[in-house]
Amino acid sequence: MTSSRIGAAFALLGGCVLLVVAVVYAAEPAHALPSFFPGHAGGGSSEYGHHHLKHAIAAFAVALAAFAYAWFATGPKANAATTPS
Amino acid sequence: MISYLQAAILGLLQGIAEPFPVSSLGHGVILPRLLGWDIHQNDDFFLAFLVATHLATALVLLGFFLDDWKRIVRGLLRSLRAREVAGDDHDARLGWLLVVGTIPVGLIGLLAEKPLRGVFASPASAAAFLLANGVMLLLAERLRRRVVQTDSRGSDERIAGMTWRQAGLVGTAQAVGLVPGFSRSGATMSAGLLAGLSNEDAARFTFLLATPIIGAAALLKVPELLGSAGDGVRGPALLGAACAALTTYVAVRFLLRFFETNRLTPFGIYCVGAGLLLTIGFAAGA
Repeated sequence: MTSSRIGAAFALLGGCVLLVVAVVYAAEPAHALPSFFPGHAGGGSSEYGHHHLKHAIAAFAVALAAFAYAWFATGPKANAATTPS
Repeated sequence: MISYLQAAILGLLQGIAEPFPVSSLGHGVILPRLLGWDIHQNDDFFLAFLVATHLATALVLLGFFLDDWKRIVRGLLRSLRAREVAGDDHDARLGWLLVVGTIPVGLIGLLAEKPLRGVFASPASAAAFLLANGVMLLLAERLRRRVVQTDSRGSDERIAGMTWRQAGLVGTAQAVGLVPGFSRSGATMSAGLLAGLSNEDAARFTFLLATPIIGAAALLKVPELLGSAGDGVRGPALLGAACAALTTYVAVRFLLRFFETNRLTPFGIYCVGAGLLLTIGFAAGA
């Protein structure tokens, strides 16, 4: 497996994870987020019921960028460049 | 609240100061203090007002470069279909350079805008950062690469000659503009000069970079303008937006011509002078 293929695989995997993260941020209020998520709010916090829409958009944007990278890295030209003659 | 006269003045100021490398946010913090207006950056109604003026600025920028954006979007779609960014497809490459330059500042803006504004929204800190902005502009002119590209290629072709890394760094420089007093366009132009662009090309890349980021930031906050925070401010906001649109158009037109033959130096001198005077004035309790 070439380095560009490995990079594309990581980008694809990372993009999928970020897409899930974006959905979780958009769907769940701050108190219901997993505790390791930035923006998680415990009981008594002023952001208890707040939806972190901006975090969702940020995760979605990076996911799109990762998919775009994977798309180009596995394109015909990238394959031709890495295929031994 | 904000009166119609205040809205018109702040709208005119926003339209000029957004494309000029002198910090619209900084001037928006300082001017109300100088004029003794009871308006503060973090007031809900003022944020709603800013949404309208920024949206107007973004729409004018989009209209001004509409033909360029059409070419760029076609180039992006072309490259997605071909699954490669062809070396001779300058529109596609410019489009992806804009994407690469926009993502970092978009992320920083989404995650850090509110805390940054909260910490640095005072007129005194805006004045100090205005001074720092002037130093940044003057340093960028001083440190710029000596060989300025003035060949026969078109501006977009020269900009498309930047590396991905350079585009990312130039785009990321916009994040400095989140601090009131520092200019987003000034930081981008400065970074563009350091990346080897001419003043003219750096200004053009700056305005192209500004459109999606200002537009997206304003669109995200439209609910604030339409919600309760916008009650009583929508009329003045509309007037402010119209004033901002007018001056943005004039300012962009002026700057594109100005930078064909001129440099950032006059803006640097203005920021240093104004920043110094205001810092001393605020420290003295004026």
